Amino acid sequence: MSRFDLREVTVRRDGHLIIDRITATIAPGRCTALVGPSGAGKSTLLRLFNRLDDPTSGTVLLDGAELGSLDVLALRRRVGLVGQRPVMVAATVWEELRAGAPDLAREQAIGLLGRVGLAPEMVDRPSAGLSGGEAQRVCLARTLAVGPEVLLLDEPTSALDPEAARAVEQTLGTLLGDGMTAILVSHSADQVRRMADDVLVLQGGQLVESGAVAAVEYVNRGGQA
Amino acid sequence: MSSPAVPEWTGVALSVSLVAVAVVIAWRQHLGLAREIVIAAVRAGVQLLAVGAVLLFLFQHAGLPGGFAWLAVMVLIAGQVAGRRGAGLHHSRYVATASVAVAAAVTLGVLIVFGVVESAPRVVVPVGGMVVSGSMQATGVTLARMVAEAQGQRAVIEARLALGLSGAAAFAPHRRELLRTALIPTLDSTKVVGLISLPGAMTGLILAGVSPEVAIRYQIVVMYMLVAAAVMAALAAAELGQRMLFTPAQQLR
Repeated sequence: MSRFDLREVTVRRDGHLIIDRITATIAPGRCTALVGPSGAGKSTLLRLFNRLDDPTSGTVLLDGAELGSLDVLALRRRVGLVGQRPVMVAATVWEELRAGAPDLAREQAIGLLGRVGLAPEMVDRPSAGLSGGEAQRVCLARTLAVGPEVLLLDEPTSALDPEAARAVEQTLGTLLGDGMTAILVSHSADQVRRMADDVLVLQGGQLVESGAVAAVEYVNRGGQA
Repeated sequence: MSSPAVPEWTGVALSVSLVAVAVVIAWRQHLGLAREIVIAAVRAGVQLLAVGAVLLFLFQHAGLPGGFAWLAVMVLIAGQVAGRRGAGLHHSRYVATASVAVAAAVTLGVLIVFGVVESAPRVVVPVGGMVVSGSMQATGVTLARMVAEAQGQRAVIEARLALGLSGAAAFAPHRRELLRTALIPTLDSTKVVGLISLPGAMTGLILAGVSPEVAIRYQIVVMYMLVAAAVMAALAAAELGQRMLFTPAQQLR
């Protein structure tokens, strides 16, 4: 399942209105893109889905249950996050993959590396020596190791060079093709057209347009307001 | 306890001449410090006279309850000072005060219960003061490191939270490091005690005419007590402080 409903969701930080009464639905089994100009509130909104932050008012529901009523650690295992820049939390790739899944066997770790397009021998590499593209794919594999139903993707390719970006996007495309629910923050209209099924357009914290990717004006204009 | 080694009040008055020499030198050399030296010397004299008067009153009239009340005041002051080091941490002053209080109560409690030190205000107040001071330093360093670590490593900590780790688990590697950092000064000074510095308690006892053998016995107790107090204060500050870093929903504040 994994359907999200936002109801009148508002976020204020230090007196500033970041998200302004957004009501929307994220359909299960599809990739929904959050788009809009910088500072529109996309990344802030994304952090609400796994409760790294809570809304100031309004509610977020997952399959009809308020997020606040669910066990937050279990929720974060259901709803994985891949950030903009790869952040390493352990010394080696092997330890990275076990960070959220301590019982992961070596064979499973190698299988995960294969799923994100990395060679089996990468498993023993130190995390510090990875290229940007490799590190981002290790982060994706680390998130997949926990077994999430939903992936939150916060501009997952924006900090990578074009070649690495293409490789990561290809990997994500395969995962999404398998029917995983995803919420993607992206600056690139081209990427949104390639990856997303649905689009929510944010501007100044408000939801200004939404619908299937082909029907959304903002995307058709190439991401120009 | 009158001994020839203890200066009379006339001797104290004469020691003012040492300050005068320092002032003259500072003035002749145009160091711009003469005024500061005078202020520092007057302040120190007045503070010590005041503390002496308070202690005299405590020892003669207030008894053990008075001694513990004075200790409680010290804990409150130490909590404010150490709490300021953790500025930015939610409720840092409560955390600091509680940490100092726990460390002081346990350390001093053990010494008194086992009869290692006498439960008289004459002993409880100065020994307690040393424990509170050591706990304050360890608490302050722990909280300062904790705030720096939580700010500097925010992305790493949140990456772990996003994998479903609890706040405590997400912060565990940082906690280990900051506890090491907080305790290294205490452990280093414990290692070289007697070799590089003759510590205060021992120096004071020897000056007051006590035999070095007795002074050393006292100093060993003091050193062990300070190590215990620092370790307990740092652990308590790390434990309580870490809870304040995260909301009940395991979000990094």
